Amino acid sequence: MKAIAKNIFNCIFLLSMSLLCLHTNAVAQESAKEEDFFKINKMRSPEGTLLEVGGLCTLPNGDLAVTTRRGDIFIVENPTSAKPYFRKFASGLHEVLGAAYKNGSLYVVQRGELTKLTDTNMDGKADSFETIYAWPISGNYHEYSFGPKLAPDGSFFVSLNLGFPDAWWHPKSMVPWRGWVLHIYDDGRMEPWATGMRSPCGLSMIDGELFYTDNQGDWVGSGSIIKIDKGSFTGHPAGLRWAGMPNSPVKVREEQIFAKIDPRIEYGPDGQQTKPENNENDKFMTEFQMKQFIPDLQLPSVWLPHGILGISTSEIVKIPGGVFGPFENQLLVGDQGQSKIARVFMEKVNGEYQGCAWDFRSGFQSGIVRLAWGNDGSLFVGETNRGWGSAGDANDGLQRLTWNNRIPFEMRTVKAMPDGFEIEFTKPVDKKYAEDLASYSVESYIYKYHAVYGSPPVNTQKCPVKGVKVSPDGMKVRIIVANLRPHYIHTITLGGIRDKENAYSLIHPTGYYTLNNIPEGAKLAMTEVSTKNTAKAGTAQTTTSATGVYTYTQIKPLLTKYTCVACHNPEKKQVGPGFIDIAKRNYSIDKILSLIKNPQPQNWPAYSTPMPPMPQVPASDARKIAAWINSLAVKK
Amino acid sequence: MEWDRTKSSVFKLIYFLPTLLSAQLLCAQTKIDLAGLTAFKNPGANWHIAGDVHADLEKDNTLVLTNGTGVLVNIPVTSAREELYTDFQHGDLDLELDYMMAKGSNSGIYFQSRYEVQLLDSWTVLNPHSGDNGGIYERWDESKPDGQKGFEGHAPRQNASRAPGLWQHIKISFQAPRFEGGVKIANARMLRVELNEVLIQENVELYGPTRASTGNDEVPVAPLKFQGDHGPVAFRNIVVNNYDKAKPTLSNINYAVYNGKFQKEPDYKIFKASIQKAAPIVSSNIDGLPANEFLVKYTGVLQVSEAGEYSFALNTAGGAGLLKIDNNTILPFTNWRSNGQVNLPVGDMPFELIYSKYVDWAKPAIGLTIKGPGIREFTITDANVPSGDDADPVLVNATENTILRSFMDLPVGTRVTHAVSVGSTEKIHYTYDMDNGMIIQLWRGNFLDATPMWHERGDGSSRPVGMVLYFGKPMLSIEKLSDANAGWQADTAGSAYRPKGYVLDEKDRPSFKYLVYGAAVTDAIRVLENSKGIHREINITNTTAGMYLRLAEGSTIEEISNGFYLVDDKSYYLKIDDAGNAKPLIRDQNGRKELIIPIENKLSYSILF
Repeated sequence: MKAIAKNIFNCIFLLSMSLLCLHTNAVAQESAKEEDFFKINKMRSPEGTLLEVGGLCTLPNGDLAVTTRRGDIFIVENPTSAKPYFRKFASGLHEVLGAAYKNGSLYVVQRGELTKLTDTNMDGKADSFETIYAWPISGNYHEYSFGPKLAPDGSFFVSLNLGFPDAWWHPKSMVPWRGWVLHIYDDGRMEPWATGMRSPCGLSMIDGELFYTDNQGDWVGSGSIIKIDKGSFTGHPAGLRWAGMPNSPVKVREEQIFAKIDPRIEYGPDGQQTKPENNENDKFMTEFQMKQFIPDLQLPSVWLPHGILGISTSEIVKIPGGVFGPFENQLLVGDQGQSKIARVFMEKVNGEYQGCAWDFRSGFQSGIVRLAWGNDGSLFVGETNRGWGSAGDANDGLQRLTWNNRIPFEMRTVKAMPDGFEIEFTKPVDKKYAEDLASYSVESYIYKYHAVYGSPPVNTQKCPVKGVKVSPDGMKVRIIVANLRPHYIHTITLGGIRDKENAYSLIHPTGYYTLNNIPEGAKLAMTEVSTKNTAKAGTAQTTTSATGVYTYTQIKPLLTKYTCVACHNPEKKQVGPGFIDIAKRNYSIDKILSLIKNPQPQNWPAYSTPMPPMPQVPASDARKIAAWINSLAVKK
Repeated sequence: MEWDRTKSSVFKLIYFLPTLLSAQLLCAQTKIDLAGLTAFKNPGANWHIAGDVHADLEKDNTLVLTNGTGVLVNIPVTSAREELYTDFQHGDLDLELDYMMAKGSNSGIYFQSRYEVQLLDSWTVLNPHSGDNGGIYERWDESKPDGQKGFEGHAPRQNASRAPGLWQHIKISFQAPRFEGGVKIANARMLRVELNEVLIQENVELYGPTRASTGNDEVPVAPLKFQGDHGPVAFRNIVVNNYDKAKPTLSNINYAVYNGKFQKEPDYKIFKASIQKAAPIVSSNIDGLPANEFLVKYTGVLQVSEAGEYSFALNTAGGAGLLKIDNNTILPFTNWRSNGQVNLPVGDMPFELIYSKYVDWAKPAIGLTIKGPGIREFTITDANVPSGDDADPVLVNATENTILRSFMDLPVGTRVTHAVSVGSTEKIHYTYDMDNGMIIQLWRGNFLDATPMWHERGDGSSRPVGMVLYFGKPMLSIEKLSDANAGWQADTAGSAYRPKGYVLDEKDRPSFKYLVYGAAVTDAIRVLENSKGIHREINITNTTAGMYLRLAEGSTIEEISNGFYLVDDKSYYLKIDDAGNAKPLIRDQNGRKELIIPIENKLSYSILF
């Protein structure tokens, strides 16, 4: 059985590789993979300890504070050793989703307050539970609270989820400051800081600047990294309900948004609110178009494309200097639904952040909520899917990611250039491929800014690569790209690139660059670049089986391309139902096609994460996918 | 205390729980007239009618009567210590009543004069056995050696008792033994016993009469008996429901399946059944039923042997149902669930039940319950079908002093969002509202059910598992009043209230801290010795003039001795332990009573329950 499984895996692998190399004719060896460089390590914990991790914080002595949904706080002593010791520091707290250390005390965020925990009698357990600031909360199940993040001056930031009413597709700020970031001082003073948050699980302090990641839904087309300044409005209008309060620094008002975009409050014939659907043919606005009318609207610094680099992004951490080799000082972002970590390189252009994001490491046991660095340069990964479902199907997890000091072949950075991009690699490339335009492909797209749950990618356009200049040491290429569009996500795929040493392809051949600004500066002259292009008539031909129905191996590239696999496994329940369970519903092909365009999450009450509309899947491919899904029912 | 839980919208479930059986149907009830003793057979001189009754926490076996009617009291004396039998005889019976134990007293309720639910002063018992309050008393075999004579007693699941002198509420469903030709074919059962709103016994089989039964034989009907030979006890609000009539039955059951999506009843002339078969019972678990998009029509004969009004409750998971009896539509084509009443004569009549399922994710399930004149609600369809709720409960036991914060729903309809529940090994637990510095509930028994918070996504709330005292709407414990008659404010506006958290003592017990009107309050609540209740000590610094502590509110507040009160129709005792020279005041507020007291630096009191 094992050998068969392995062969199937190889087939899938080779097929996907061959798709990447279509234009090159190169016979690639089996290239290295994530797990050859970054290992996921188990952390031993006492049997029966439920580690639905909500917060992680490394203490100055290297011990690790772990907070859980069940309200326990453990101090893990020697957490990077073979035998960590779990000391229960506190218990009984309300779903603790974050922790920070300051002056001998642990500050944690519970559902309704920021609490300072101190062990005053040195018996190893907290005995003082001081409420620093208690915020209002209506008691809605979705009102999670995140943080605290410590500012350079010792003050704190917390971020507060919106509540989900019965009409969950329009989350609400039911009491003041839900959907906001608050700034809190040790003496209990609180300043409302910014709003526009929907589900801000990933509040993070990077070099003294505040960022967060949000979760896809209404008004949020995809996860992204957004910078937060005092008074920022980051996109979701629900929190604007309180923008007029005397102590609010936010100038934007709800009416300004709704004057331009219909909030889509819709009712069915029975008078019940109905979930608005994505209308493919309607005119829409993007977030950057809205910014022309509302200059205070804070755009994402870096988009993390939905379904590709995550579906429910969480904590951002900066890789410390000297850690994880070529990636030091870059960012890592966790994702709950896909149980994986993305990597981000950010740069500042015209005073604003932008940058490139890649897949980094997948395969964690549950949904990633928190990341924290160990003193030895390994990364603690705190996990739970707490009923939402995740690719790693355990409900809880505390794992540790370590690097083996070998250099993976990756794009180290992508930087915007006046006429394209400069890509730096971690290892020298083989110039034969690097100087061939067929090794590169670029296209760009963006998301809608609307009141509908999620967004398909829209305004997709090809960006032809016109020329390439490879640095003498083979560590960098600069590509001239036509049709660059500011604010768009540029998908840069380097399918044909091989490293010089092993002729390996890139571990992650695609990067997603958010081009908020195109820098000024010198452009390359066509005389100094290679315009060689071996891609002639070599177009991909996918074959259909004799019956006309695809096999899993044949369909998988389509499932991957349209991000179906982000949530669906062929057989198992993941974030969404297994394809086999969809097959059991006996939907017609046409019905599946319409469900892809306008999903009906109410048909799947046992699943917590609704599917976004995916009209971008062309009917021809959707039909193939639908036929394959239905074929699963016939077999069993 | 009477609270209507169903009125509270916050008891909403966020995950889907299809219930097979619909809500309980209402039916006629008989309240036993306690204007006199006419409802009872030859009552002994130890049985009295009174207007009110008081126990004494210090004196064993003492009840003091007040003239009037409505309360039935037993005061056994040497000359009279007789059992009390009802005039009516019963088989299957639902019984509901309030009762009060004297200190150290013992009594019991014998169904059919034979099967005893024990009534006892079990105050402070940590691990109740079958001889404790709410236990099903042991049986007795004199022929066995000492120590082995007692057997088959059934302990309550937890001790849900209140203190002597407080009204307790018990609700019991009893099923009589069944006989055929004078031979017993089924044992009696205690279907449910709820003590003070806590389910403590469920579906307990009774293999024979318990000790001190009126007869060792078993019979189809016999009077209800209240034990009179042991100790003083009082009863009131005795309500019975007698179920002595034969259930309707169904026979000649056939079903026909129609494939397709029917959102109204099809025209059977056009659609042809794919299957037509006979079945032993109406069930969704039948041959040939597709998972979805079908209509199944069951037909049969309903035999009714008792004329009168019948109530029907139908549940059709993921679709609609329709019920016809004698060719009259009783329940029209309705989604998910419906109920209705109809008068039926004695006789056989055609029965027709339709289940049309078209919601694709639901599992097929159909449930029909019937309740009739003298007929306890029962399920006539197959009860062995999926319920949809397979969540394992997540129970939190206080095996050490335990704190758990969560949202907490109160029967007054409030969701308390900054609630801290504190559990003890003495099995006395309370919930503190950190938004008001108030104890919002106090209970005895097991600690918390955290399933609503920790199952799947959860809703952030937990629930007390034991016998709960509620203290009404959350309000500030400490207020500043312009004078002693000024009303208590409904919210914290203007009070500068700020929670400051809590500190734990060496036994992990919290003392809460907060600021109010500039004063710093420390609020320490400790479980009393022997699990009798709690002691609360409040210390204040920076007090300003005019501050009051709200000690209690309720329908009644009786001062029974200096600083010792019975609150809310004898739901609990409140005892002021140390108030310095401050004078407590009972006052009327919005039609209820309120007990307040000026507070300066320190005040302590206890709640016994």
